[in-house]
Amino acid sequence: MSVRNTEKLCLAHFWVAFAAFVIAAILGVYQMWVRSPLGAKVGSPSLYFLSVTAHGTAMAYVLTTFFIMGFGYFVAVSALDRPLPGRVWAWLAYWLALVGVITATVTVLAGRASVLFTFYPPLTGSPFYYIGLVLVVVGSWVWCGIMIAAMTAWKRENPGVPVPLAMFATVANAVLWLWTTVGVAVELLFQVIPSAFGWTQTVDVGFSRTLFSWTLHAIVYFWLIPAYIAFYTMVPRAAGGRLYSDTMGRLTFILFLLYSLPVGMHHLFMDPEHGNGLKFIQMLLTVFVSVPTLLTIFTITASLEIAGRLRGGRGWFGWIAALPWERPMVLAVGLAFVMLGFGGFGGLINMSYGMNAMIHNTSWVTAHFHLIFGGSVVIMYFAIAYQIWPQLTGREHASLRPLRLQLWLWFIGMMVMTLPWHYLGLQGQWRRVANFDYTNPIIASWGPWVVVSLIGGIILLASALLFARNLIVLHRSAAVASIRPLFALAVHPPERVPAALNGFGLWNALVLILMIGAYAYPIAQFFITPSPSAMVHRMD
Amino acid sequence: MTHENALDQPWRIWASVAVGAILFTGALLGIVIIPVVQGRSAGLDAWSAICRAVGISAGSPAVPQPVNNSPPSPVSQVKWTPDLLQVLARGDPKRGETQALEVCGPCHGNKGTSSDAQFPHMNGQSGAAIYKQLHDFRTGSRVNEQMTPIAQGFDENALADVAAYFAGQPKRNPLPTTLAAPAAQIWKLIELGDPARALPACSACHRDGSGGPIETPVLYEQRYEYIVTQLKNYASGARRNDVYARMRTIAAKLTPEEIEGVARYYASGLR
Repeated sequence: MSVRNTEKLCLAHFWVAFAAFVIAAILGVYQMWVRSPLGAKVGSPSLYFLSVTAHGTAMAYVLTTFFIMGFGYFVAVSALDRPLPGRVWAWLAYWLALVGVITATVTVLAGRASVLFTFYPPLTGSPFYYIGLVLVVVGSWVWCGIMIAAMTAWKRENPGVPVPLAMFATVANAVLWLWTTVGVAVELLFQVIPSAFGWTQTVDVGFSRTLFSWTLHAIVYFWLIPAYIAFYTMVPRAAGGRLYSDTMGRLTFILFLLYSLPVGMHHLFMDPEHGNGLKFIQMLLTVFVSVPTLLTIFTITASLEIAGRLRGGRGWFGWIAALPWERPMVLAVGLAFVMLGFGGFGGLINMSYGMNAMIHNTSWVTAHFHLIFGGSVVIMYFAIAYQIWPQLTGREHASLRPLRLQLWLWFIGMMVMTLPWHYLGLQGQWRRVANFDYTNPIIASWGPWVVVSLIGGIILLASALLFARNLIVLHRSAAVASIRPLFALAVHPPERVPAALNGFGLWNALVLILMIGAYAYPIAQFFITPSPSAMVHRMD
Repeated sequence: MTHENALDQPWRIWASVAVGAILFTGALLGIVIIPVVQGRSAGLDAWSAICRAVGISAGSPAVPQPVNNSPPSPVSQVKWTPDLLQVLARGDPKRGETQALEVCGPCHGNKGTSSDAQFPHMNGQSGAAIYKQLHDFRTGSRVNEQMTPIAQGFDENALADVAAYFAGQPKRNPLPTTLAAPAAQIWKLIELGDPARALPACSACHRDGSGGPIETPVLYEQRYEYIVTQLKNYASGARRNDVYARMRTIAAKLTPEEIEGVARYYASGLR
């Protein structure tokens, strides 16, 4: 297995991702600080919303997209063991997306687009913010094309052989991303950008929220799938065992493709523009998106048990202690599962039509997505980076101690930050608010809990800086990396799988059916009976 | 049928059946069973309950509300319609310049920097803010013995042109009377408001690029005397062209010291 001259390409993507990540982590601490009683007089609300926009854009669009693209290129050459098709295109896409990032960032930092990263029309910022993001998306579309081309070419060269699971999952993510971005692309190109340029004076907010909901949930699974790829393909190997079931892995990624798309309306439970019945359908479909996560918890735990028993673990729980927890990948999956547990149960509340009403628009929601994305997903980004960096640089980590410390700090920081944050949401603390008047006796009791969250945020920042330090140290490490196999074998390696588990034709057709069932009428109604539009509110 | 195909066929069939069954179940429960059963207790017949669940007929409020038939008494005749926004977007500063220099310049300055403390600065104000006030003078929603006859001499397009001219002028030349930091309670009022008195933060609407109503003026580097006069007029009800009585409600709650403090803060050029 070699990386076949894609080291520079992968590292270029990862460093953009992690540079954005470190900057955004600093902004995050600032935001938590000004929301706490300690920073009540620091800065202004305008600065806060500028910061939130920059933080969200960097974390949700830059860190994720660049990491996923870089990781995809790595998987395409390492799992398929063939050169990357369209390397020139990959570099073009990289530069395009980077120009987009710079354009969007400069616009936000200039205070011309403090609209928050999910846009919130009729708020309208400078068109350059949106255009920058469109360039990032276009760059990622090129990546999708390269991923699909790589798998197609491999299948042609290896007729009848199952595509390696890591690549199958990566292409599932590419296909998912192509579906996902349709909603936001239509919103940006036909509603937001024309109004940002001043060509239109009104915007149908219900319609734009519906289009964004199309993207809004699936995008989270786009971010999450690399973590799941690590769960299925890297964790069993790192733990010294085998993957319990390859088929379960394929099913999981297929179920993500099917059920992360027709569910976005669960973000609109409190919106007036849709009927209850259609919201109910999407709620029911959301229930099914928990199935692949439950499958994964079961399969990966079983795989870890195999590893633990191979290492001499005995009894009901003895295998857990026998696992090689000193390895960052194994430690990360343990910590990720704990956060996934808390975050997953919280998510079940968000997706329930009735219970959502309690926590809608409260801090609960922000806490939830920080825990599940910032926690379980991003900690796996770290573990993946630690795992594949030696292959990309040819150098080995001199010591694993600072790596483990960093992962523990991230876990502790995330729990300390998000658990009180959830609690504050239950107390009714609203989100998207810059300051709180803690002298008001009604909310005075919130203050100490926000301070606890702030402490968690500071621990997270320390972890983020340590992460960057660990990678920089590795670049200068004297130890030479030994090339080890990265991807796990299954207990029963698949010899032949049905075409349905080796490609996406059938599943694309079913996604189309689900999307028609879930979104056809909700979107058509805006054309059948156009709703009153809102006046564009310019922020630049 | 090839072996490959035989292996694949059950997947195609059962996956499609499963997806179809889930969609059907969702529709049956969400659109038929739950609305019809729950609708009974709200006195809805089955068909209306289904139509409301789909969103074809309005589902809220559950009980018809009494209709308010009292005639509206708007405080301003300006309606922010898409057409009006187009008129503003088409406002031509070149066309507006002649009239601005001839009519407005003597008091508000050729570039919008006013000549006397009682007149507000115009430069850097949004077109919508200037248009709203001129239109209100023209229709009598706001009264001023100098401005009323002047505004009545303009038609709607000319108002938009003049507004565009001043909006396009460079930001004010800041001549801060003081750069000393404002008193803590004034800073708090401006940046955070006073929730105990239900006072929103001034800067929530009056900062450049903030999220307030479209007609809200930018206040920083505005004339001290002008701000004090307007706040007092709002408080007494002498000026009443603020939609929903927003500023009358706010100004009436401010103490004289706060009015002076706020005006001094904005006059100083601090943001």
